[in-house]
Amino acid sequence: MREQQETATSLEAAESRLAWLFVLPALVTIVCVAAFPILWTFWESLHLHDLRMPWLGMPFVGWENYGEALADARAWSALGHTLAFTIMTVALELVFGLVLALGLDRKMRARGALRTAALLPWAVPTVVAALIWRFMFESPGGLADVALVRVGILTTPPTWFADPVAAWLPIVLADVWKTTPFVALLLLAGLQQIDPAVHEAAALDGAGPIRQLVDVTLPLLAPTLAVALVFRGLDAFRVFDVIYVLTGGGPGTATESISLYAFAVLFRDLRVGYGSALSMIVFAVSFVLALTWIRLLGAAREVKR
Amino acid sequence: VLREQFARFEAAHRPFAVRLRVTPDAADQRRQLYVHWLHAHAPDPDVLQLDVIWTPEFAAAGWILALDRFKPDVAGFFPAAIAANRWDGRLYALPWFVDVGMLYWRTDLMRDPPRDFGELTRVSLEARSTGATASGFVWQGARYEGLVTVFLEHLGGFGGRILDETGAIAVDSEAAVRALTFMRDSVSASGAVPPAVLTWQEEQVRFAFQNGQAALMRNWPYAYGLLQDASASRVADRFGIAPMPADPAGSPTAALGGSQLAVNARSDHPDAAYALIAYLTAPEQMLERAHIANQFPARPALYETDALTSALGFEASLARAIVERAVPRPVTPLYSQLSEILQVRLHRALTRQQEPRAALAEAAAEMRRVIARAGLDGRRSPP
Repeated sequence: MREQQETATSLEAAESRLAWLFVLPALVTIVCVAAFPILWTFWESLHLHDLRMPWLGMPFVGWENYGEALADARAWSALGHTLAFTIMTVALELVFGLVLALGLDRKMRARGALRTAALLPWAVPTVVAALIWRFMFESPGGLADVALVRVGILTTPPTWFADPVAAWLPIVLADVWKTTPFVALLLLAGLQQIDPAVHEAAALDGAGPIRQLVDVTLPLLAPTLAVALVFRGLDAFRVFDVIYVLTGGGPGTATESISLYAFAVLFRDLRVGYGSALSMIVFAVSFVLALTWIRLLGAAREVKR
Repeated sequence: VLREQFARFEAAHRPFAVRLRVTPDAADQRRQLYVHWLHAHAPDPDVLQLDVIWTPEFAAAGWILALDRFKPDVAGFFPAAIAANRWDGRLYALPWFVDVGMLYWRTDLMRDPPRDFGELTRVSLEARSTGATASGFVWQGARYEGLVTVFLEHLGGFGGRILDETGAIAVDSEAAVRALTFMRDSVSASGAVPPAVLTWQEEQVRFAFQNGQAALMRNWPYAYGLLQDASASRVADRFGIAPMPADPAGSPTAALGGSQLAVNARSDHPDAAYALIAYLTAPEQMLERAHIANQFPARPALYETDALTSALGFEASLARAIVERAVPRPVTPLYSQLSEILQVRLHRALTRQQEPRAALAEAAAEMRRVIARAGLDGRRSPP
């Protein structure tokens, strides 16, 4: 009896050792590509490190760079722009993505071809897509101007990229256009997990299409919606390429995102210490957002059960 | 041009071969690429083409070699171009060609180029109202380095400077406020300048002028040859160049730009690299560049020759008059950051997010703060 128990524990230990061995490559990879760079960046962020002035050396300054960020009006306004951009685009993408997913979920002819076509914007590299949108909003006489005037929405179109408010329109449009298909794809997968019998039952009980959507589809889709929200929210918070190509953060700094500002400090000003501190702030905020959302996600799951 | 010049150099300097590495056209991206190479201590490329404003930054970072040990003949170059390549008392690069901001004007729409800012506005509006051109005056107004050079030229025309005699920041002077207010009002009040320029860099500006849509243009010398090409240009033989206009309080001003050649501090062959620089900056190669690319030589002696007049296609004395008035931008390793501070505030004022006076006051305060923090105030060189 006792002997048997002992073999069982040693077997368990062997199993667990084997398990660690199997996980090791993945762990090493994560440490090399994720943990190491993050720790390094954090280390840099605690130093005064300016490539333009090597004679200053690289003295340890503690939290000084973070103090500077707190007092930096430009960093705060960039953070504000980023949050506004995130809320705006993610909301629009969820709405349009849901509409698109519901449309693609219906049984119809050429469904496969339509699904592929709907995914195309997602397949276009962001920089290419952004360049196309910039071309359309070129002033004066870009495609957007011509279209808006002809339809009668505008009589004198603004100089899009020289107007601190109007400049947001092409940015948001480009991002929504590009990532809505991704959200739709996620939601479509969620829709297909819903048992058609539930809908049939609801229909038998006399629920119309709207009632079915609100009371049956949406609650059952909630976990998938939450996943889409986390993915898109985190992605939108780190937005860089769309804005870099479309406005470069201008006019002035009216459309500058926090990633764009961190990039400028690092690569234009060559202030490695301060730039690293800004990057750490981006990382910390998205990390906290991710944790919160995942918590909420778990809570939603519990409620469902 | 370059490939032919390289072939001749190789023939004379065996066994060395010269390889051309293509880099991005956009200055900011090229600088980033250089920073990656140099910070990683890459031994190649051996020779680097630098924008005039990068030399002090790269020199201070220890990325490029001081050239004094090769005993270059600095007397042959424009003194302003040499001064821009000095840092901490040493010379770090040689001027390859000089760039200056010039006024391009349509000879079929006006008898003489405008000499002061009032005339500039009047002529621009006249060209629009008669329907001769859709726009009046066009310049580089996007938020990038080009905007700083355009501002510098307006600033000089109104009698202001970026740094005063003592080397302190002076972008919040009365003259600066007048200059920026004039620029803003040209765009949004008088209509002499189309608002689209606030998104334009050199090439969009050139296209507008080249297609006959503008009566006046501010641009660098490179545009001249392209505008004279009748197969692509609608204004060939119908335009001239002149110094930028100025008010009585100021004087016609050109921003001094241009390319410099420097040696990578980690180069395995610094002597050969310098030999290549000496060759490329020799008078014959400069004349050849002037002929093919319309880039102005950095040697004043060449402007006395008829060869340069025929190479450029216009009077070399006119080019010289503009180059001699050229004003360098501040020579400091912090230049990129100072310029960006100014770019943001200028662009805010031009897009009516801020009043010119407030924008310039903010820019000056922030520039002073950056200089003070780096410990470079009152000193031109590191401690």
